[in-house]
Parts: sequence; C-alpha cells; structure tokens
Amino acid sequence: MSKKHFHWRGRKFFAVIAATYLFTYLYAPHIALTAAQTSGAIFRNVVPIIAVVITFSAIINSLLPPHIMVKHLGKNSGGRGWAIALCAGVISHGPMYIWYPMIEDLRQHGVRDALLVAFFYSRAIKLPLLPLMIDYFGWGFTAILTIYILIAAVLQGWLMEKLWP
Amino acid sequence: MADGAPKHQPDSRPRGFVPELKRSAISFAAMLPMLLGIIALVGLFQTIVTPRMLASIFQGNAFIDTLIGTLSGAAALGTPVISYLLGGELLAQGVSMYAVSAFMLAWVTLGFTQLPIEIEALGSRFTLQRNLLAFFFTMAVAVLTTITVGLLL
Repeated sequence: MSKKHFHWRGRKFFAVIAATYLFTYLYAPHIALTAAQTSGAIFRNVVPIIAVVITFSAIINSLLPPHIMVKHLGKNSGGRGWAIALCAGVISHGPMYIWYPMIEDLRQHGVRDALLVAFFYSRAIKLPLLPLMIDYFGWGFTAILTIYILIAAVLQGWLMEKLWP
Repeated sequence: MADGAPKHQPDSRPRGFVPELKRSAISFAAMLPMLLGIIALVGLFQTIVTPRMLASIFQGNAFIDTLIGTLSGAAALGTPVISYLLGGELLAQGVSMYAVSAFMLAWVTLGFTQLPIEIEALGSRFTLQRNLLAFFFTMAVAVLTTITVGLLL
C-alpha cells in the first residue's frame, strides 16, 4: 500500500461508536467514563500484540514470496496446509480483529479460503488458557472440546470450498 | 474492500524486512479507526452487561439455551478469559452445560460486533460464509461435547 493510496478504514463505524459514547455520557456519565477506562486498559493490552502481529506479518512477507506461500497454503497445499493453518490458529494470540489485516494480505497472496476458515476456528483453542479451563470445567471437558474444535475447524474449511467454490 | 474469491495479485513491490514492516504498519494504521471503534465497543459492553443479566436470558431448555448461548456469545465482546469466568458464573447459576459451552465457543469464534471490521478486511461474502459455518458448528460442537462428556465421564 503506497502513501498515495492510504485511507482510513472504518471512519463511519468509529463515528457511530464515538456518538454512542457521547450520548451515554450525557445520560449516564459514570457508565461512559468506566467504559472509556476499560477501553483504555484493553487498548494498552492490545498494543504489544499488534506490534507482534505487524512484525510477524513483515517476517512472513519478506521470507515467503507469494509463490512459496501459495505452494504451502494454496489450492494444492494438501495435509501440510491444514496442519499449518490449525497450528497457526492454536498458537495465535490476542483478539480476532487484530489479525484481519494480516489475513487480508495472505488472502491476496493466494492462501486458500478453506485454510483461513480453519485458522479462524482453531483460534478457539487457547493454549495459555487451557489450565484455567481445566480448573473451571475439568480436564475431560477441556480435552473433548479441544478435539471437537479441531475437527470442526477442518470440516468448516472443507465445507467452505464444497458449498462455495 | 476485498470481496468474493481472493484476487492473487502480481507483486512487483520491493521485498525485504524493512519495506514489509513499513507496509504492514501502514496497513494497520489504516485500520485504526475500526480497531479503536471495536475496542471502545468492548469497553462499553463489559461495563453494561453483567453475569446476572446474561444468566437471566436462558430458559432451561437445552436446545433453546444452546441457541441463546451461541447468539449471546457471538454478541458478547472481550478476552477469552472473561468468557471462562462468565461461563463458570453461568454454570453456578444453573445454566446448562450445552448453553455454557456454546456461549464460550461463540465468544471466540463468532463476533457480531466485529463484523464491520471483518467485512472491511475480508469482504462481505467471505465474512457471511465463515460466520454462518462457525455459527452452526459452534452449536454442534457444544452439543456433542456435552453429550460426550456425559457418556464418557
């Protein structure tokens, strides 16, 4: 993206949210202020993750030219492509929305939609949070849920290509 | 805006870590209004919606509760840790495991409030298809997990 083509994305959405805050502040200032403080805390938590994602994205794009990316994650990537998508989903960190710019980039380089769908769903498995989940819901529930999530991720990717080729 | 099947673009831009880092940073910067809007929405949601409020929407019917769990999880916002804490809270308040599983899963795999940013980045067609699949699979996984846990443990 060159500087000439730069444009802010989602300005209308941001304006709607800002107006919602303003409206909330007028009628319930304590709610608007608490929400703003919570948002500030979330933003501080998300900034380091964004930095990691930007760096990660740059590393992938500089080391893997599009033809290599297509070979490993394109139409004929086979089992390796699925394995990469699932592993990437499981180890990826942070909220889903900070991954969209990178996914958009990968998609434009020819990465299969099926693998992106599998990546998104396998993100439901959060490795660092597994101990917490085991503590709350038991190891049996956690193990069974994890296995079903992986199966569902692959099935969704497969269906994505079968239903909407 | 990207839409439909991905367009594999011929690439003649300069490669290397620094140009890619710059390009990636600009890409993210362009998304800032959308990212800030989503984060502000998360803050508002976490301030307004309480666990008690969430528990009150469940009916006690496994099928309907699975549907409600999926819809409320998809509408909810926040980090996965919060979904586990809320899930535990809902279980303690007598909400079924079907509903709680669906709620926690939908929390991380669906995102009604994130739809604008997903559509902006990946296109409306891809976003609709992905969310539709994730919606039905979330209900299926929640039901299958609860049944399997009941049978095996």
